[in-house]
Amino acid sequence: MPLPLSYTWRNLLARRLSSGLTFLVVAVVVFVLSVLLSFAAGMQASLKAANSPVNIVVLKAGASAESTSIIWDDEVTPLAQTPGVATNESGGQLLSRELSVQAPVPRRTDLSRKANVPVRGVDDIAFGVHPEVRITEGRSFVQGQMEAIVGRAARGRFANLEIGDQIALGRQVNRLFRIVGVFEANGSALESEIWAPRTVLTDSYRRTFASSVHLRLSAPSAMPAALDYVNGPSVQLRGKREGEYYEDLNKKTREIVYLASILIGIMSVGAAFAVANTMYAAVDARRREIAMLRTIGFARRSVISIFMIESVLLTAIACAAGLTCAAYLGGMKQDYLSDKTWTVFAFELKMTPQILAICFAVATTVGVIGAVAPAGRAARTRILDALRKA
Amino acid sequence: MSAVDIDLRLVRKVYHKGRMNITVLDGLDLSIEGGDFAVIMGPSGSGKSTLLHLVGGLDSPTSGSVRVGDAHLERMSERELTAWRSRHVGFIFQMYHLVPVLTAAQNVELPLLLFRMSSAERRKRVETALEIVGLKDRMDHRPNQLSGGQEQRVAIARAIVTDPDVIVADEPTGDLDAKTSTEILQLLSLLNSEFRKSIIMVTHDPRAAGFGKRLLHLDKGVLERDERHTHPVQPVAV
Repeated sequence: MPLPLSYTWRNLLARRLSSGLTFLVVAVVVFVLSVLLSFAAGMQASLKAANSPVNIVVLKAGASAESTSIIWDDEVTPLAQTPGVATNESGGQLLSRELSVQAPVPRRTDLSRKANVPVRGVDDIAFGVHPEVRITEGRSFVQGQMEAIVGRAARGRFANLEIGDQIALGRQVNRLFRIVGVFEANGSALESEIWAPRTVLTDSYRRTFASSVHLRLSAPSAMPAALDYVNGPSVQLRGKREGEYYEDLNKKTREIVYLASILIGIMSVGAAFAVANTMYAAVDARRREIAMLRTIGFARRSVISIFMIESVLLTAIACAAGLTCAAYLGGMKQDYLSDKTWTVFAFELKMTPQILAICFAVATTVGVIGAVAPAGRAARTRILDALRKA
Repeated sequence: MSAVDIDLRLVRKVYHKGRMNITVLDGLDLSIEGGDFAVIMGPSGSGKSTLLHLVGGLDSPTSGSVRVGDAHLERMSERELTAWRSRHVGFIFQMYHLVPVLTAAQNVELPLLLFRMSSAERRKRVETALEIVGLKDRMDHRPNQLSGGQEQRVAIARAIVTDPDVIVADEPTGDLDAKTSTEILQLLSLLNSEFRKSIIMVTHDPRAAGFGKRLLHLDKGVLERDERHTHPVQPVAV
């Protein structure tokens, strides 16, 4: 039968300063960890959604992103021979040449701060190649018209992107496109974009090329042969699975997450030391109490469990507090500047059950590791010495 | 539990301090009948606390045997002694050693947590123990809300709540004023006479010794005098 929880709780409260500081350290570690994991989960969700198993992104050989890729018309022609390309109801190949440019758009939170929002010029076939794109408000643009539609995430983060608003696009930022619709794309990176008719956009930006070609295959099994062809000698372009392309865009994020994880690891070690310090102080202050418990029949393992439970309770409460603070950011829309495209992706911080489990596991581990040595010292208390020093 | 006899035979206890060997008990022979109230006196370093620790299973003799009832303590491992103490001995300390963050009832309940027992049964036993020591109305008070005498009563309740064979008390009145000391000693006397608890008490106070039935004088680890009181101070109901 364990000691009452009130014993553990009141002992923690009895040393408010050291318990409070340890609480703070663990809560900060959990907060940073949960935000980092939420960030990674949000980014991952955004990329996962843009991970069609039948889509290929074709860029210029050597280009790492659409914004740095130039594909001339004569280079597109051989792509029509790609094996396994799907067709739409009218028999047209699901092959979409697309232009990627950027437009400075003020943020909703601070109108004076503009961000480079990705703008994609597409033909109508693009809606067949990217079937996840669905108009949810208004209508789609009409080819040849200076109209645009905006992704849900882009509208949420940036100002002046409501239906009926006008946005200045073009090389001189002097062509006004009217927003006529809002689209969703299963939360993918496409939702961070503005779409407009490719021919109008090409003219506005005085471009004579496409940035990328997107192919949709009839089945995932057609992928190897299609990639072999696209990357082969007859095309001279570079094709990637859609998921692989966005993963590459996200490489920096993964590096940041990796480095931050190391930092959090170091912070966790520090937190374990803070816990150990607090528990050592608790053991030293309660030597007589420990000796009394041992005298009346509590075994060494019971003494160990007293301090283990105390430590884990402290770190678990701190974990809950850290997660509560992080939860205020949960669902918050963030944006991320890609170092490859120099455009901004919008995504949401995602707090998942796995993240909660990881945070509690880390906090508990910190609590257990921090308490091992002090609890061991408590269990080794020499009863008669401790009673005599009373 | 029924009162049990205590029997020490040729008990030696030697402490090692650096290269020095300090003999605290030197071939002690002693028998205490079940239900007795033995008071141990003697100058500092005479071995009285060591004797108490040996009988209470807190320490083991260097040689000789210590038997309490059927238990041969000198043959037990530390783990066995720990389990034995929880069932057979109640401890009362000079400084009470109550857990400051627990209420009187929770302090008394502590030894019962080592038993397989329902919470209702524990509660009943705690109430009975606190009633015996006259503190049933202070069950929810913390130690810092009690006087020294009341704290010692709670400690006594904690010592008797498991219904042990033996109660060992180390200077139980050493930190109390004369009036409160008398009350505590009367309570111990009551536990001995009414509840047949064997009590072994160490004290420096000759007045406290008057409450015991038997007075043992130790000096330099040897039993110097063994007197039986024909008319110990009679207990007064609490």
